[in-house]
Amino acid sequence: MFNQLMQKGRRLAGIGSVVAALGLAAPVMAQDKDPIVFGGSIPLSGVFAFAGIHLHAGLTDYTNWLNDQGGINGHPVEYIMEDTAYEVDRSVAAFKKISGNENLATYYGDSTGFMKAIASEVNEMNSVLMSGASFATALTNNETYPYQFIPGPNYTQMFGIILEYIASQGEDGDMPTVAFVYSDTEFGKDPIENGKARAAELGIEVVEEIVTKPGSVDVSAEVLKMRRARPDYVVFHGYILSPINEFMVQMRQMGLDTQFMGTFWSSDKLIIDKMGEDADGYMGVMPYNYYDSEESGPMLDALRAQAEKSDPEAGYRPTGYMQGWFNAMVWTEVVKRTLDAGKELTGENMAEALASIEDWDTGGIIGIPVTVKDMSFPVGRIWRVNASEGRYEPVSDWIHLD
Amino acid sequence: MRIGDAKQTYLADEAIWTSSTQKIWFALLLAALLAFPFMASSYLLYLGCLVGIAVISTTGLNILTGYTGLISLGQAGFMGVGAYTVAWLSLNTGLPFPVTLLLAGLVAAAVGVLVGLPSLRVKGLYLAIATLAASVFLHFIFAEWEPVTGGMEGLSLQPAHLFGLEFRSDFAMYFIIVPLAILALLAAKNLFRTRVGRAFIAIRDRDISAEILGIPLLKYKLMSFALSSFYAGVAGGLFAYFYRVVTPESFPLSMSIFYLAAVIVGGMGNLLGGILGAAFMTLVPEALKLLTAVMTPIWPNAPVFMSPMLEIIFGALIVGFLIFEPHGLAEIWRRIRRFFHLWPFRS
Repeated sequence: MFNQLMQKGRRLAGIGSVVAALGLAAPVMAQDKDPIVFGGSIPLSGVFAFAGIHLHAGLTDYTNWLNDQGGINGHPVEYIMEDTAYEVDRSVAAFKKISGNENLATYYGDSTGFMKAIASEVNEMNSVLMSGASFATALTNNETYPYQFIPGPNYTQMFGIILEYIASQGEDGDMPTVAFVYSDTEFGKDPIENGKARAAELGIEVVEEIVTKPGSVDVSAEVLKMRRARPDYVVFHGYILSPINEFMVQMRQMGLDTQFMGTFWSSDKLIIDKMGEDADGYMGVMPYNYYDSEESGPMLDALRAQAEKSDPEAGYRPTGYMQGWFNAMVWTEVVKRTLDAGKELTGENMAEALASIEDWDTGGIIGIPVTVKDMSFPVGRIWRVNASEGRYEPVSDWIHLD
Repeated sequence: MRIGDAKQTYLADEAIWTSSTQKIWFALLLAALLAFPFMASSYLLYLGCLVGIAVISTTGLNILTGYTGLISLGQAGFMGVGAYTVAWLSLNTGLPFPVTLLLAGLVAAAVGVLVGLPSLRVKGLYLAIATLAASVFLHFIFAEWEPVTGGMEGLSLQPAHLFGLEFRSDFAMYFIIVPLAILALLAAKNLFRTRVGRAFIAIRDRDISAEILGIPLLKYKLMSFALSSFYAGVAGGLFAYFYRVVTPESFPLSMSIFYLAAVIVGGMGNLLGGILGAAFMTLVPEALKLLTAVMTPIWPNAPVFMSPMLEIIFGALIVGFLIFEPHGLAEIWRRIRRFFHLWPFRS
């Protein structure tokens, strides 16, 4: 019977739960079952390679760790990826190639552009659950992107967390003021309108709004505007480093005591490595504990042990590594829930399993139990750079948006 | 070996296919193109469609840059105009794809004429900068004209349709893209057998001489821009139907450079060069990945180290072609053909 079932469906993943339901609880060697395939369009080259190699390492290490634990319900897990150079057409090509050759369950997309371009196909396939490097607000529109999720808060939610923190620093009638500085890209503009609306709700005045090119260096004219507006906080979005460093250095030189904040992709060690002491006090919103934070938990410890095992020379692992690991963790949880429910691994069933995640303990990757809302994990914490220690330290509790 | 194809009339001399050998090869090519989607994997089919779209756009740019000598960095912008036209029409009118694609071409052509206006006064690098500026301007419109373009989020559209048939899959899209690519190539081939096409070439070779010969430069330069943009518009429209989403970031400046590189690598002023260039630029990065695939079983970390290397190899290949074969892939192809003309009697 087992062999017959094995031959039957394209989606053999349900077998584990069938076996369990029949009470055949005899341990099954992982290699006896068909593998669950995690696929990925990974930017190992191109402009996003700085993060891509760590995303890849996180996904690889998690998969190896998971297989050492016996896989998912006895199914081994395979992680199959292709480099994309961060180009949408090549990401789509990678998806077609991998999905054509493998029985894909989940997939890592390297950009918002790719996630949008592949959406119609993913919707029609109804067999893959997708997440990736994008935290775009648009992807949490469940009607258009029913099988894509965000492995953390989306950019609007990140702004929500930042603004809640800022609001917590003020008092009624004496709320801090804020300025938004963002890049002239889809990435940069993503949370701005919603962010302004949220600021208004919280009674925070947005005193300046500046749009720049990503990576721009000469921001002296914009800094003069900041001097006039004198915001208590500047929130950057849509950058990796520049012009954040330029704004911070020039505004401090002018004697402004503004505090600087950023979102996920601009809240890594890069800013400390490049700015040194000048990075001190910069704050970022981060949904995961940093690799070198003082926090711990069974999964976070496992992550550190696996990272050490796979590359003892690597030392600190950037946030991209944590993000890759967490993506694969969510996929595992979703696949497990789907299998446990005796369902096939369809996009619809997996999306349903994802939506059922409530008060999920991530073992220390995120510091509090998390609940999925609108295909995202609306949780994060504000961390501040301690330049002398060369790392980020938490300055707020975990903030879970309702 | 090919013999006995001496031309005895001017008509025969001007014919596109001058020998039965060519006709047989062309028929075989058509048969192969027809059979391809039935045999190819979804991955190869996708690449086939991408090459088809690239061939149309590259041919358009070849008309402008290769045949008329007007360099342009606005091709991605014109494709964007076509893509947004198709997306808007598809969302607001529900017109079938032949109409939307035609309108996409026409709107892009109109924009092309506007962008081409400076070409009477400036050429070479100056024109490149003028078209670059137009490209930036178009990108700004795509991003900011929110009621029409959907702003930074862009537009999602329904599949192409005709007579109740929907073209959802790559398989279905292949049967739109490839015939249109063939049609575009045939049209371009014929263009250069007409007065208009010859005028383009005359302008490229020496515009002052062309003017003295009675060719109105403005008219023909704008016509070249219009035709080139028409091709780009149709290619952009196909791009929109293919991905079913259009955002301002779908058409970056790097895309214009991609097409310019395709024209140069393939061979400027040569339609076959456009095809080979488009195929080269699209397929070689994918083919190079096979190196990684071969090495991964023995070296698990190969993707991390090989991926950036492949980009360098790809760049080196382009530079190599420019140095060792300035006339492009088309010239290599021509030499191969010449070799076989007298084969096996003389090589």
